[in-house]
Amino acid sequence: MKIRGVLVTGATTPVGERLVRNLLADEEVERVLAVGFEAPETAMPFSYGDRLVYKRVDLSRTREARNLLFGVARELGVEVIIHTAMHRNARHKGGRVHAQNVETLRTLLDLAERHPTIRRLVFKSAGEVYQVQHDLPIMITENHPLNMNRGAPQWVRDRVEADLSACTRMGLTRLEIAVLRCAEVLAPGAGSQLFDYLEAPLCFRPAGFDPMMNLLSLDDCVRGLELAARAFGVQGVFNIPGADTLPLTACIRSWGRFGMPMPAQTLSPLYRLRRSLLGHDFSYGMNRRRFHYCSVLDGTRAHDVLAYAPRVRIDWPAGRDPVG
Amino acid sequence: MPVPPLVARALAHAVLSEDDKELLKKVAVPDAGHGYDAFGLHRDFVALGMALGKPLYNRYFRCVSYGTENIPRKGPGVLAANHSGTLPTDGMMLWMDVIRQAGRVPRPIADHFVPTLPFLGTFFSRGGMVGGSRGNARTLLAAGELLMIFPEGTPGIGKHYRDRYRLQKWRVGHTELAIRHGAPIVPVAFIGPEEQMPQIGRLDRLGRLLGLPYLPVPATPLPMPVRYHIHYGPPLPFADMQPSDADDPARLEEASERVREAVAELIRKGLKKRKGRLFS
Repeated sequence: MKIRGVLVTGATTPVGERLVRNLLADEEVERVLAVGFEAPETAMPFSYGDRLVYKRVDLSRTREARNLLFGVARELGVEVIIHTAMHRNARHKGGRVHAQNVETLRTLLDLAERHPTIRRLVFKSAGEVYQVQHDLPIMITENHPLNMNRGAPQWVRDRVEADLSACTRMGLTRLEIAVLRCAEVLAPGAGSQLFDYLEAPLCFRPAGFDPMMNLLSLDDCVRGLELAARAFGVQGVFNIPGADTLPLTACIRSWGRFGMPMPAQTLSPLYRLRRSLLGHDFSYGMNRRRFHYCSVLDGTRAHDVLAYAPRVRIDWPAGRDPVG
Repeated sequence: MPVPPLVARALAHAVLSEDDKELLKKVAVPDAGHGYDAFGLHRDFVALGMALGKPLYNRYFRCVSYGTENIPRKGPGVLAANHSGTLPTDGMMLWMDVIRQAGRVPRPIADHFVPTLPFLGTFFSRGGMVGGSRGNARTLLAAGELLMIFPEGTPGIGKHYRDRYRLQKWRVGHTELAIRHGAPIVPVAFIGPEEQMPQIGRLDRLGRLLGLPYLPVPATPLPMPVRYHIHYGPPLPFADMQPSDADDPARLEEASERVREAVAELIRKGLKKRKGRLFS
């Protein structure tokens, strides 16, 4: 099915850039409108002639977003928005970050609902919106409780709020909305907490716990977004799990790191120190529960409705299956 | 589990006999890609569990099982057993017995606090245990797994010695799941564990401080070497019930009572069959 135009936000992130490349490689997609923060000269290190249009826009500014959607997006006949732009650094907080994470999506929804050409909005949400708890199911379906803890950091709260903002608009207007709750993409620059955790040669973990986790490769994440973009007539929330389901210790070993079990109480101050001294992004407090209890996204709905199944494994530096 | 699977395998192979190794090779263990299933089960840790439990199974508790042809060899199913003994050794012996007799790894459904226990929670999950949430059990049954459930729960294992062989409050969740998934329930009765470690008291507050439902006060520091008799009854298929009946409290209660009565009957027969007491 031909798509006249696709607007990709967060186009300069690893996910966004790969998505733009894939869309351009598909002859059924006529035009791609890529939007990011970077200057046009450095943003898209590839050229596809007039099929690709890049715009530097701060979507958290309503006027800029309106000008984009009712200007160039209308001219290009954009039919689908794939919104991947979320603030990736968990250390940053405040009104500007909230505006980028939540208000931008609200603005896009508002504008898209009355837009003459846009029919569909795909929002890349995150598996981090789910509550992880010892007495909750390990396999997380779309009906799993969300992390509404008062003490949750802004990084999580914003994601939950954005996710719910999209969900509450489903079915109210002619705009079709798909929310993809993606497993953690273990790749540089993708905002992965685990990636930052694994950057250290020595990875401290809570002694006595070795939870199962599910990780997503960049390829599968992008494929999930593409499938959702094409699924005209389909709305809903979909988990996008990855092909790698393994325990934390195997993850550390596969990344070529050394895991050091420590009493759980010491890890929060230890990683806070690392964060303030070395400027790392990983927050143990934010990941405490998933470092204790298993949480694996159940992708049955995405499989049944979007025909999505994880295919590409993460390229583990220590080689595949070093754990035996 | 902090021990890598390679180490677990080496430890297990040092203890297990050739017959055990052959048996374990044939056992189907789900694998989500890295050797583990989504709940943490791993073949090498099943072998390690078998190796660690072997002296208990063969020599200490000298397990004898009856009616093993009733264990479903494939497809979803629920084993519903009486629970007792202060320590959950009955669960471990049932897990081993099913692997030995039926060649499949049953999935024990544990109380919510078990996954919070460091080391133990992880080790048990490598052997197939999952926390007792409805979602976990549903996923496993949908995947055609055999669940091991003790419907008495913690009150069963913590019952006073004077209440031995008296079933405690019987929960209905296992019956609901079985009806919904069209899975047969196999009643299982343990004779022996109810007397292994007579409980004479319990410290609730101290137990809660340690993250446990209570701290038992047993009469003996270790379980006594009672012989375990494991009786499997014929599967209760609930063929007369539709999945929608799982939502009917009265029908569910009635079905659950059938399971309870089947276990109680097995206990009565088992006690009669047992020649002496405790160690025979």
